[in-house]
Amino acid sequence: MEIQPLEGLAASTTIWAYLAYLTASVGLTVWVAHTLHRNGRIFLVDSFLGNEGLADSVNHLLVVGFYLVNVGFVSLALKYGIKPRNTVEGIEFFSTKIGMVLLVLGGMHFFNLYVFATMRRKAMLKHQRPPVQPEGFLAAKRA
Amino acid sequence: MIQRLTVLTDASCGFCIRCEGWLLRQPAFVELEFCAAGSREAARRFPELGTSGTPEELIVIDDEGGIYRGARAWIMCLWALAEYREWAGRLASPLFLPFARGAFAFVSSKRHTISELMGFEPEQFRRAEPPHCDARG
Repeated sequence: MEIQPLEGLAASTTIWAYLAYLTASVGLTVWVAHTLHRNGRIFLVDSFLGNEGLADSVNHLLVVGFYLVNVGFVSLALKYGIKPRNTVEGIEFFSTKIGMVLLVLGGMHFFNLYVFATMRRKAMLKHQRPPVQPEGFLAAKRA
Repeated sequence: MIQRLTVLTDASCGFCIRCEGWLLRQPAFVELEFCAAGSREAARRFPELGTSGTPEELIVIDDEGGIYRGARAWIMCLWALAEYREWAGRLASPLFLPFARGAFAFVSSKRHTISELMGFEPEQFRRAEPPHCDARG
């Protein structure tokens, strides 16, 4: 099948859909990263047993990793799927792509939460009381 | 907060001494100390527990004087270990405790058979240090 070059209205629809997709995706990534950075700090501080310096450092590194993965994914995903030729296809393209980006963001977010919740649980173990009660006490200690 | 557990084990059971060695090799949150049950040292330190021979169940005593027997003693040993503390919590939950009790009681009652089957002679695993109440570390 020969690929027809896009012309006129079709070409401009494609370009506008792509630009809208890129702007919205990057905008969403920035917003999510900002929210996670702001609200995730207290959770990280607790996971690292109050070590604020380490928590802030990990928080920054996480945001960097988050940008890299998401912007990379958004860039790669641009050309896959339909090439919108009219407004309806443009809206479909935009909606499908944004949906994918949101799902990837959500997946990463829950994965991060899972990792840190596991770390936090392990850190809390050290201060955990025994899970069973003694059956009795030695008289010498009780006195 | 508990800092140390004293475990009264059966020194005539190869499997128990083997377990003791394993416990001592694990990274632990609290110090573990082993004492041969029925030994003179055990009788001196814990006269209330009785001196007659070997008890039929594992006994753990914490440094606050709390006494744990059977499945609870096993769970306390797991609780002492960094890698197994989560398991101690799980086994102590109402869902798993009956199973844990059954399994621990079974292993305890069959410990000499297990030692024989696996060829664990008590002498083979006894450490060079004095066998009574030697602390970890």
